[in-house]
Amino acid sequence: MTLWRLEWLRLVRTKRLITLAFAYLFFGLLGPISARYMGEIVAQFGEGVTVSFPDPTPADGITQYVGNASQVGVLVGVVVAAGALCLDATPEIGTFFRTRVPAMARILLPRFSLTAAALVIASALGTLAAWYETEVLIGSVGAGQLWTGWLLGALYLVFVVAVVAITAARTSSVLATVLITLVILLALPILGILPNVARWLPSHLVGALDGIVRGSDVSEYTRAAAVTIGLTGSALFGAIRLSSRREL
Amino acid sequence: MIRTEKLSKHYGKVVALDAVDLEVPAGSVYGLIGPNGAGKTTLLGILAGLKTPTSGSVTLDVSPSEVAVLPDTPRFDPWLTAREVIDLARTIGANPSPAARVESLLSEAGLADATDRPVKGFSRGMLQRLGLAATIVNKPQLLLLDEPSSALDPIGRREVLDLVSRLRGEATVVFSSHILADVQEVCDTVGILRNGRLVYQGSVAHLLSDRITPRYLVRLRPPIEPTIEALGRSPWVVAVDQLGPDQLRIETASVADAESSLTAVLAQVEARVVSFGPEAVTLEDVVLEIVT
Repeated sequence: MTLWRLEWLRLVRTKRLITLAFAYLFFGLLGPISARYMGEIVAQFGEGVTVSFPDPTPADGITQYVGNASQVGVLVGVVVAAGALCLDATPEIGTFFRTRVPAMARILLPRFSLTAAALVIASALGTLAAWYETEVLIGSVGAGQLWTGWLLGALYLVFVVAVVAITAARTSSVLATVLITLVILLALPILGILPNVARWLPSHLVGALDGIVRGSDVSEYTRAAAVTIGLTGSALFGAIRLSSRREL
Repeated sequence: MIRTEKLSKHYGKVVALDAVDLEVPAGSVYGLIGPNGAGKTTLLGILAGLKTPTSGSVTLDVSPSEVAVLPDTPRFDPWLTAREVIDLARTIGANPSPAARVESLLSEAGLADATDRPVKGFSRGMLQRLGLAATIVNKPQLLLLDEPSSALDPIGRREVLDLVSRLRGEATVVFSSHILADVQEVCDTVGILRNGRLVYQGSVAHLLSDRITPRYLVRLRPPIEPTIEALGRSPWVVAVDQLGPDQLRIETASVADAESSLTAVLAQVEARVVSFGPEAVTLEDVVLEIVT
């Protein structure tokens, strides 16, 4: 039993992997349907009121998916990551690992890597579902644009897990880690209100998939991607350092 | 083997440990005792490397990878099975034992019937035994056990005490316990903590023989009043308590006084002695005397 297998078992046996996949697949399947049939859906609820929508474009299907998945999917991801990365939430479990494995990196890296991988794979499944349904119901979306946008969004998801990791190194409960992480993630778009700042922020990548399938150039997101990679590495390094110094 | 010098730990204004000079001989079983809040868990935490002392030093003659810790209430990821917990403890350690040791330890810990059950359904006693098995799986040189027998039934407690006794000479064991009878049974050295200070450290035998006031229990045929009067006139008798119609507890100034004169006084008043002997001294008596 290695620490990597332990994390795999955590994802599988606690249903975290299925929960993540379900969250993204659900919105991946729902997004294009709601874009395609929005007019009919609204007509069902609007008694006597006629609402006209323009014909959906393929990009609308992806927009619906991104809008829903970027909120609920990330929330589920934060909760799942906090459960894995809050090593000292149960001090006796923290003691089990800390007294056997002297290097915190050996403990944290499998937890970080597999959680991030699960989140990224779940988002890939959701994107795949949204792509398929958009193709079937609305029209074609370029594969290159789609997966480039997904890749940039995946960078943001890995960043989210790194934020969870460094937050968990300073808190002693899963709930506190989730709440503080969400505050940090919500603060980033607020920072983006400042002129010329938004394009540098990791939160800019949330809309990369939507933006690129709508025709934005990849260069629109390169600065944010570079900052996100740098911040992810720094947060992970900081999480290891802070956890190493922490007293139980 | 283990030595601390002027070891102190402060939490803000609270002094958890105050200039503790601990000396644990290699291969010994050392009992750490004291009331709640005395600093036992803090001291074990520092020895385990889980806490940083405010001042002072710790010297261990073993590498950190040879130190194993058992918390007072062991807990594990609830979705792991007993076998997986011990195997995880084995493989993530610095010097893993052969895989076959996992099965033998499960059997020794009385968990052979629960090897593939998730630990979330385990009783506290089962978790304690599982924790102990996970602690010793890689044969560490230093074991730090925090209340290892507190949650166990009499049979489980006996197994743990036997296990700790068997480790004597093979590994150094430091264990804290509130069950002083356990400490008295398996430890050869004890340290008594009170309010963060180490107020006694030494062998159990020395502690029992020297720290307690000498007392003797005498059972007599009535009448016993002449004996009480005669003892009251003896300057080396500190106190005489009548425990029942035919029993006295006699406290003397020293063991030597009692051994040389007590039987003479009884003979002098022609007391009809049914039984006579020193009052059994337990570690609990001594510890209560020291910490209160």
